[in-house]
Amino acid sequence: MLLPTTTVGSFPKPDYLAKARFQFSKGQISKTELEELERKATREWIEFQEEIGIDILVDGEMYRGDMVTYFAENFKGFEISGLVRSYGNRYYRKPVAVGEIERANPVTVEWFKFAQSLTQKPVKGMLTGPYTIMDWSFDEHYSSRRDFCLRLAEVVCEEAKDLEAAGAQYIQIDEPAISVRPEELDLAIEAMGIATQGLKAHTLTHICYGDFPKIYPKMLEIPVDQIDLELSNNEFDLLGLFKKAPFTKEIGLGVLDVHSHRVETQSEVISRIEKALKIIPKEKIYVSPDCGLKTRGMEETKAKLRVMVAAVKEVRESL
Amino acid sequence: MALDATLAGAYPKIGDTTEEQKLRRSLHQFDKGELSEEALEQIKDEAAQDVIQQQMEAGLDILTDGLIRWDDALTYIARGISGFEMAGLIRYFDTNTFYRQPVVESRLEFIKPCLVQDFQFAQEKSSKPVKAVITGPYTIAKLSRNHFYREFKQLAFDLAHIIHKEAQALEEAGCRYLQFDEPAILNHKQDLSLFLKVYEIVTAQLAKAEKTLQLNFGTLEGLYPKIFEVNVERIGIELIKGHPNWQVLKSAPFTKKLMAGIVNARNTKMESEAELNQIVHDLGEHVNVEQLWLSTSHSLEFLPRSNARKKIELLATTAKQLRGASVS
Repeated sequence: MLLPTTTVGSFPKPDYLAKARFQFSKGQISKTELEELERKATREWIEFQEEIGIDILVDGEMYRGDMVTYFAENFKGFEISGLVRSYGNRYYRKPVAVGEIERANPVTVEWFKFAQSLTQKPVKGMLTGPYTIMDWSFDEHYSSRRDFCLRLAEVVCEEAKDLEAAGAQYIQIDEPAISVRPEELDLAIEAMGIATQGLKAHTLTHICYGDFPKIYPKMLEIPVDQIDLELSNNEFDLLGLFKKAPFTKEIGLGVLDVHSHRVETQSEVISRIEKALKIIPKEKIYVSPDCGLKTRGMEETKAKLRVMVAAVKEVRESL
Repeated sequence: MALDATLAGAYPKIGDTTEEQKLRRSLHQFDKGELSEEALEQIKDEAAQDVIQQQMEAGLDILTDGLIRWDDALTYIARGISGFEMAGLIRYFDTNTFYRQPVVESRLEFIKPCLVQDFQFAQEKSSKPVKAVITGPYTIAKLSRNHFYREFKQLAFDLAHIIHKEAQALEEAGCRYLQFDEPAILNHKQDLSLFLKVYEIVTAQLAKAEKTLQLNFGTLEGLYPKIFEVNVERIGIELIKGHPNWQVLKSAPFTKKLMAGIVNARNTKMESEAELNQIVHDLGEHVNVEQLWLSTSHSLEFLPRSNARKKIELLATTAKQLRGASVS
């Protein structure tokens, strides 16, 4: 099938789950009660993706808060810092490496198995990449960013192998931080090489918008089968770069702006896909939103995804 | 004149205790319409007073108002300039923080000073001198989107005149330390000549205050030593252990006063006193230590407040001990 549809990973949490997470943080409900609701929400998202006809599913990350902190909380060697401001009145807690990073137990595998048990379609294994975990953490233990990053790569590889053993056909290792420091791209590539070493599953990485002209075409050396990119946010300016140096991997084509409340029209999405088809072979294109959808509203998210799937259907018929 | 301890700019707006999070809660309430603007201003004043108190307790010699009212390095100043509209969020240099991008829609004009009131408030609450921190015109111009000026330099010059007025007003209000933050020039070193012209405008007739040019998020390589032609008395740079600026210092004498960012404001790992003493000792080869300012490498908002507090305490202790050592 051409133009398989998928999503980048996170979906918004339903109100009952947001409330339960808050209650759990206050000690008002138990871990078991929270997990029951996380499973319920996961089930609902799997059903929704099936219903609208998405081809490669995700579990929606109902059990994760922040994509880096979630892993730090589950790896040994990390503590969690006090609050740091990201913008305006928004704060988050950063992981702090205080000892050798180790993985005591698989972190995401049980959730993967649960989600995969609910559908015949493939569910992606979703991990955060070593470079991003390193870049978004404080480090009080390692002597260099490189040492810290490469150790994380080994730990992420252990998790990826367990996902593969549990049946994951697609393993996505997100590196949103990779586009921020072009001078460290080599390190990020080396780390991804370690994280994906020996994997037979289809591997992909998601990179958020950044200074792409500075890391392209070098970023094609990231050792994964597919790179998923945020494109709509910048009106597909990036495609210009691909004219200069061909995009040699599969592309995850971001066709929905996740920072905007506005639901795209079907013809807008079609035109975005058609722009890409002019430059990248059709066999190499997967279609997805720009980024995770967890910050969008429930209804917005569903409406956007419906438009995306409908647009792909229409384009497929014309191919 | 003596070796003094200061901070590079902002101090974390909130801490981890419930009491220290009043500002955050109040902003939420304000957004929901449950708190009046007046009440919110009162709470911001309390937060500002608290961060001034913390800096005094830590023993810093030169304080800032903590930039408590600033959402980011650009908007607080840009909102006070007519001709700007605010657009989407953009990553601030290589950090995981964001700024709202100002867009130039018409000729930029000075309306009224936007930092004077904050300075006066802070100075009133402080027994130590308060340094006013101003994002410099070059960086504002570079990080904004220009929909109006035909040439970038026209935008930079207009902003230079506006920031000059702001600085003048601060000086008139009694401010004796002005700090201009210009990180963007480190990414656009080819613009140095334009930058120097911009600073002729910014600093014209500012004779009462000592002016510091703060250059972080990069190295001085390529600007050094020509940057000393800029009309300020002091230059601030990153000098944490192992920073490439240490190599740059070896290439030519440092001919202005230095604000040395020797404490890493982007990592929670604590420097030791011995390490800092060694750094100051090494700096003695390049500058007159008697006139040195010890500082954080960046604004402290990249750290949780408890870590920020420890870092400024360490800076203050180091400065105090070194002063004692030079007297004896």
